Amino acid sequence: MITALIDLNVGNKGKILEIRGGRMVNQRLNDLGLTIGSIVTVKRRAPFAGPIHLLVRGSNLALGRGIAAKIIVQRLT
Amino acid sequence: MKNSNIQKIRVALAGNANVGKSVIFNLLTGLHQHIGNWPGKTIERAVGSVYHKGYEIEIIDLPGIYSLSTYSLEEIISREFILTEKPDVIINVVDGSILERNLFFTLQLMELNTPLILLVNQMDIARSKGILLDFKKLETAVGFPVIPTVATRGIGFTKVLDDIVAIYTGKKKSIPKTTFYGPELEAQISKIQKVLEIKKILPTYPQRWLALKILEEDEEILKQIRRKQKVPFQHFRNDHKQPEEYTDILVFSRALILSLEEFHGHSCGSLITSERYDVVSSILSEVQQIEAKIVPPLRERIDSIILHPILGYFILFVSVTLLLFGVFYIGDTVSSSLLILFENLKPFHVDVFGEGLLSELIWASLEGLMGGISIALPYILPFYLILGILEDSGYMTRIAFLMDRLMHTIGLHGKAFIPCMLGIGCNVPACLGCRILERQRDRTLAIFIVTLIPCTAQTLIIFALVGKFLGFHWVLLLYLLNLLVIIILGKLALKTLPGEPMGLIMEMVSFRKPNTKVVLTQTWFRLKEFIYIALPLIIVGNIILKALEIYEFLDIMNAVLSPVTVTLLELPEEIGIALIFGIFRKELAVILLGTLFGTMDFATVMSPVQMIVFSVVTMFYIPCIATIAALRRELRWKKTLVIVGFEILFAIAIGVVVSRVIQFSSDVGLIF
Ligand SMILES: Nc1nc2c(ncn2[C@@H]2O[C@H](COP(=O)(O)OP(=O)(O)OP(=O)(O)O)[C@@H](O)[C@H]2O)c(=O)[nH]1
Ligand SMILES: [Mg+2]
Repeated sequence: MITALIDLNVGNKGKILEIRGGRMVNQRLNDLGLTIGSIVTVKRRAPFAGPIHLLVRGSNLALGRGIAAKIIVQRLT
Repeated sequence: MKNSNIQKIRVALAGNANVGKSVIFNLLTGLHQHIGNWPGKTIERAVGSVYHKGYEIEIIDLPGIYSLSTYSLEEIISREFILTEKPDVIINVVDGSILERNLFFTLQLMELNTPLILLVNQMDIARSKGILLDFKKLETAVGFPVIPTVATRGIGFTKVLDDIVAIYTGKKKSIPKTTFYGPELEAQISKIQKVLEIKKILPTYPQRWLALKILEEDEEILKQIRRKQKVPFQHFRNDHKQPEEYTDILVFSRALILSLEEFHGHSCGSLITSERYDVVSSILSEVQQIEAKIVPPLRERIDSIILHPILGYFILFVSVTLLLFGVFYIGDTVSSSLLILFENLKPFHVDVFGEGLLSELIWASLEGLMGGISIALPYILPFYLILGILEDSGYMTRIAFLMDRLMHTIGLHGKAFIPCMLGIGCNVPACLGCRILERQRDRTLAIFIVTLIPCTAQTLIIFALVGKFLGFHWVLLLYLLNLLVIIILGKLALKTLPGEPMGLIMEMVSFRKPNTKVVLTQTWFRLKEFIYIALPLIIVGNIILKALEIYEFLDIMNAVLSPVTVTLLELPEEIGIALIFGIFRKELAVILLGTLFGTMDFATVMSPVQMIVFSVVTMFYIPCIATIAALRRELRWKKTLVIVGFEILFAIAIGVVVSRVIQFSSDVGLIF
């Protein structure tokens, strides 16, 4: 199933298909290991529509909601 | 020992943020760069030296950087340094527990054709995560020395210095391997490289790296090429010319980029990134093994409590309150006993120095010294100690995560909370710390917020006056008022600088037990700043004050200020001069009050209402001189003057309101 990263549940894994959004954001996410085809695991989400905490390539990242909404993933589990 | 014919080797420390570069820098050079467990502390390069085997090794600590693509100001500093100043050796520090992302940057350094050493740091953490590494194989894969280290314990560093010298003298080889990025990409790289070789546009850069940057359409590089080529802009036409027939290399490369993008369906930049990560993965599959852990490690469990949707906020609130109360309690106890001790000294002084002008001036300087030691230190020391522990544990990034949503209400994102926390210590590093925010607008907003945060000196005024004489609940109330003001003024500032912040992208660093040595040195260096700068200022301030008093200047100055201090704020007239001195160091405002009133028992000279009003005014009235200098550096004069002017007027206004409200409540018997 294809959704935005923000819509994955805690514990879900997803494979990144596309990153929408500006060049700068794209670049930074890429550098941090969020590349097309990489697998991310959602570890937790902050309440009140806060950021999400995820695991990618062995490193832990926090992504704001707006950014996580622009990352399109294929849900794996 | 310094000898002019000693050879100098220039070595740069480069790597991702928070891998331990500054710990290593401090270890090797004996200097004291800011250390903490959150990404983005080092914001400017620092230089130090170490002598080894007859060489002077000059070490340069750089800001953390995730790639050589320009992104933030700090990364530009690092990239420019590496590219244009060409250090003799680059030490690439990586975090052994997050090798995949770290080696991604290593690959980019390898493209620069500079001798490299790979320091795989934080090996203690890596092992505790069950990560096993084969360093020999890694060394063969990359083509240069690989050294495992634990920087906080100083493990592995004699070899680092030996290797630097060995590489410099050619006794050891450091020839980074050329990586292979898949056939389609490689084909285009070599085409561009061929044209670059013919045209010699930017000959000082490594050409393969330059070709990759052209394919990535790195803005900085494209700009440089345009400047060099000076050919009029041409539109791309697919007219089957030979590479060397193109006058504009950018037109030529644009064709290659388009064909690559058509082939893969993604931008060329992300294609290259993916290829790089593929190379890293294939190296790691050879050298890294991860033992699966059955029990979730302690740090995961701590995270699930500290970042819990409800419990997390509760813990945050309790720890901030405890921090304040702890500091208040320790400070108050120690300070009271020191003050008693000090009061008993006065008769001795008269015995020794007698009476008269000189004796009075000596007493004034002693009074300043003792005031600084007995009023300020007892509060400042525990404060910095706790701040240091918080910083080195990794809690800062957790707070940023929890506060992201709330920070959006004032137009910032969670990372802005980190400089705010630093601001509770001192506003100066906090203003500079705002550079962890990506855009100038975000930085300006955050810096304004930071200047509203009570620093240790302002906290000290509140504790030594309101806390001591009215009770801790009044302290809490003042902090809540401060929070309210920050939210309201933050929202107002947002109106003048509208827009959304860029959105949070932050590394959540590993939680770990704070390192005692790191915390203690960090505290000591922050304290040193107080002892070497504030204490002398307090003493000099006291002497000047005495002199002004003796020559009756004080009354004139106080009289000039009295329309504000007395008429508007209903404070004792003496306070005017204290507020003036407070601009130099906020601590002065309360310590000098002792001298002005001739007693430290402020309850006998000020009413409760006056104590509260004075504290509120000092909380906001003007950033201190050092903060103004930091503001000017970060924002330039115009914005600085706007902030300073605004805060003066605001402090008077809120002082007037608070004094009337509290006086009224007290008159009708609600309080006091
Ligand atoms: N356990 C452990 N902690 C380490 C080691 N090396 C560094 N640290 C800790 O890692 C954190 C970051 O260290 P810094 O030296 O400030 O990192 P940096 O690379 O200079 O970071 P930036 O300046 O933000 O780019 C600090 O909390 C250190 O105490 C190590 O080998 N083992
Ligand atoms: Mg550093």
